[in-house]
Amino acid sequence: MTEASISVTQSVVEKFTERYLCSLGCSIEQSDDHWEVSVPEATETVISQGKHMLIRGEVNPDDDDENTKRLHPESAFFQELLREASERSPSGKVSIETDSDIEIPEWIHHSSVEVENAQFTPYYDRIAIVVLFRVGIETVSEYQQELLRAIAVDTRSEEILPKLAETFLDSTKVETETATSDDVQLTKTNIRPLLETARELLLKNVQGKLDSIHREASRAADSEVEEYRQMQQQRIQELQEKHSNLSSKINDLSEKINSGDEDSRVQALRERKELKSEYEELDETLNELQERRDSGFPERQREIRERHSLDVQVRPLTLTEVEYDRGEIDFELVDGSIHQTVTLGYGSGIGVADTVRCSSCERKLTEGNPIRAISDGLKCQSCTKER
Amino acid sequence: MSGYDLVDIEVTHESADDLLDSLSEDGTDGSHLQSIQAVRLQAGQPDSELRSLKELDENAVKLLEHQVDAAYRALFEMDGKALLADEVGLGKTIEVGMILKEMHFRETDESVLILTPAQLAKQWQAELREKFGLDFVCNYDDEFEDFDAHDYIIASIDTAKSERHRQTVLDRDWDVLVLDEAHYVKNEETDRYDLIDRLSYNYAFFLTATPIQNELTDLYNVVSLLRPGLFGTRDVFHQYFVNNNQETLVNRDELQDRLNKVMIRNRREDTDIDFTDRTIDTRTFDPTPKERELYQAVSDYVKGAYSQDQGQKLVLMLLQKEVVSSPVALKQTIEKRLYDQSELTHADELESILDLIDEIDTVTKQERLLDIVEEARDNVEMGRVIVFTQFRATQQQILDRLASEGYTVHAFHGGHSSSEKEQIVEEFEEEGGILVSTDAMSEGRNLQFCNILVNLDLPWNPMRVEQRIGRVHRIGQKRDVFIFNMALKDTVEEYVLERLYHKIDLFQQSVGELSSILSRLEESGTSFEDEIFERLVAADSEVDLENDFDAMAVDLQEQRELADKLEEFNSGVFEGFDLGESDD
Repeated sequence: MTEASISVTQSVVEKFTERYLCSLGCSIEQSDDHWEVSVPEATETVISQGKHMLIRGEVNPDDDDENTKRLHPESAFFQELLREASERSPSGKVSIETDSDIEIPEWIHHSSVEVENAQFTPYYDRIAIVVLFRVGIETVSEYQQELLRAIAVDTRSEEILPKLAETFLDSTKVETETATSDDVQLTKTNIRPLLETARELLLKNVQGKLDSIHREASRAADSEVEEYRQMQQQRIQELQEKHSNLSSKINDLSEKINSGDEDSRVQALRERKELKSEYEELDETLNELQERRDSGFPERQREIRERHSLDVQVRPLTLTEVEYDRGEIDFELVDGSIHQTVTLGYGSGIGVADTVRCSSCERKLTEGNPIRAISDGLKCQSCTKER
Repeated sequence: MSGYDLVDIEVTHESADDLLDSLSEDGTDGSHLQSIQAVRLQAGQPDSELRSLKELDENAVKLLEHQVDAAYRALFEMDGKALLADEVGLGKTIEVGMILKEMHFRETDESVLILTPAQLAKQWQAELREKFGLDFVCNYDDEFEDFDAHDYIIASIDTAKSERHRQTVLDRDWDVLVLDEAHYVKNEETDRYDLIDRLSYNYAFFLTATPIQNELTDLYNVVSLLRPGLFGTRDVFHQYFVNNNQETLVNRDELQDRLNKVMIRNRREDTDIDFTDRTIDTRTFDPTPKERELYQAVSDYVKGAYSQDQGQKLVLMLLQKEVVSSPVALKQTIEKRLYDQSELTHADELESILDLIDEIDTVTKQERLLDIVEEARDNVEMGRVIVFTQFRATQQQILDRLASEGYTVHAFHGGHSSSEKEQIVEEFEEEGGILVSTDAMSEGRNLQFCNILVNLDLPWNPMRVEQRIGRVHRIGQKRDVFIFNMALKDTVEEYVLERLYHKIDLFQQSVGELSSILSRLEESGTSFEDEIFERLVAADSEVDLENDFDAMAVDLQEQRELADKLEEFNSGVFEGFDLGESDD
């Protein structure tokens, strides 16, 4: 699944800033290393009304001041501009044009068959929502990761439309100028269940990523547990040594009690009593530790695993109502001197909507199993190879 | 490690209320797109880019993805010290051009030194100027003074290391060093290695298609010049990466990881370069008896004059070339010699040659050229054909002849200004017909819209031949290319063509392959043209001459085989730059 984030290069920064400021009514005079921006009255934006200088790139080490800002991917000014723009209109509407480029399916694209002509006939309008979700994944052993993903859902069928999400991302790059409006038809009530569907799909889509972070985190927790176990084992050994020392000391004293004079017997008895009580205490600690070890230090394990658990925060950031057309497409296929027309379900922005199978072996036509012959129905590569 | 217990995952869905509330808010058209873009940018990472890309003239250079990628990686991921080791023909020069253009844009190139094998220096200069608008002085230019007098220099590595210049080169702190055919510095005991080792520079780009020439130590030496310490000491490198019994690689993964920090190697199969087919049609013709007589007279004269005075070599070589190009070209040169130089030996011989020229009424090659252009007029889009000749006099005569036959003709030679040249190429594209050009065309101009090329005469320098072909057979040519070579039987031209050029498959070499063969040849201290001439004048008989040319062909073939073997060996070692399974 495509990551929706855009690499922030200097040219992208400049393009976005120029468009954004102009859309607010600002005027910009550009020269090689700086821009002069005039912000008109009553414009609410990160820079105040009046004239400002934007220095391009990181060349100038001076700090920003009221009227001079730096413009580069990491500049404070640009970050502030992004925050402002992102909050300005998080919901809206776009239309995917019927006359947008025809999407040739991979199973034709990767074959020797050529498309001579393609004619799309739209039958009805459809509406989908596309939501940009930020997924933040946090755990103690890994750097925090943030993903941005686009999920498209048809409003009527609740069908997931991955191709439409891709088209949406393509048409909202910084280089493109897709027309959007804020005139959303759908209501909150319509949207809530769709949002739920989108969330479920999102989690499925990021599952692979989550799994790998999950495994890493579990490994980290596991090695911490193992480290703890080894430490405790070491402690057990130390205690056992002490235990056996005490035991031999007590035995020595017992001999003294049996053989010595009265004074030394009394002294030995006193000492033995002290040692015995120490021995018992030690014995108890040791037993308890061994017991915990034998059961695998469950509490400590729980504590460690809790600390390493993954905290996944999902936040919908933008919501776009997307109008697209559904209908049928006629592909006129040519293979040498043979011509053949196929009609398939199609949607603008989503491409061919039908699953197409080989007319001979019923295998699904895919990028890996493209079409091979068109003279007598559509035949796939696998079955023409088998012959 | 297996059998670990998995930690918990807690997923929290933050409320969508704010987002849903925004549905009812009024905004302006277009602001939603900006919000989407802002969100996508907030999630993105700051990234470097090649900012000079958009400054390039798309008509002058069409960059391929792997080239842009290599330039990017060399600059930003390898901190400006990289070994560009693409397989031959993938455009390493273009990659360096892009890198230098970017550095120029970012003003980090106050002084740049490009060191190349001698015969590639001018080609580098032309490519950088025409494709990237970068002006370099070449050590062969008249204006070249010394290595401290210019900031952008292309020089032969041997000039730079020579007694005369060495200290000046070393005294300077260069911003950028480019070293072409970097495998020449594989041997740490040579003066070349020593020069590069002592040079002071901030950024360096080394180019070679074959980093390993003989043994793995070559790779160690080249890489260590760029990144001292990357492989540790020579002993450590050997112990760790080389299996001494079999001279094979061990610890490949580790080697690959380290090489990845400094070396970029693209393979042909990973790129989208796809050349169309090239058909070679070599036509040899029987000269008329008069032409034969003239050829013999000129050859005898050249031989005799050279045996007496070797200082005349250049002009004698010229006569020998002109006699197979056209009598008119020969005539001009002889007349100039006769009338400009008062004390000329052998004047009567030259006078009699002039008489022979005057007796010629049919010029065989020109007559036969009409067959080719007529065929083209009937079969090729707008009958476009490019005819190359080395001589202006021949060019003029052909132009007149073709025009008199009713063909649309265009002339292109070094005397035109660069805007005139552009105009001529444009007219040729629009009007079609026949463009008759001298080798002034060979530098930098692209004529992919034409796919038929005629070599009316043949340069004795194979690089020139390749440059001619390269004008039409290059990335962007969509049709198959047809090359016609014309030669008169039993002349030097036929020998050069049949015995040398065809032996090394010159006309089928992909761009760049030839330079690796010729660079090897140059390494052995041989100039191709001199070699041909020397053999020609030294031969006592026809049989001698044939044997001589055959011997030269064997040399060439050996160089070619060596170049092929090396390329193959390197492909094996660096297979996909994935060094494969470890031997250990």
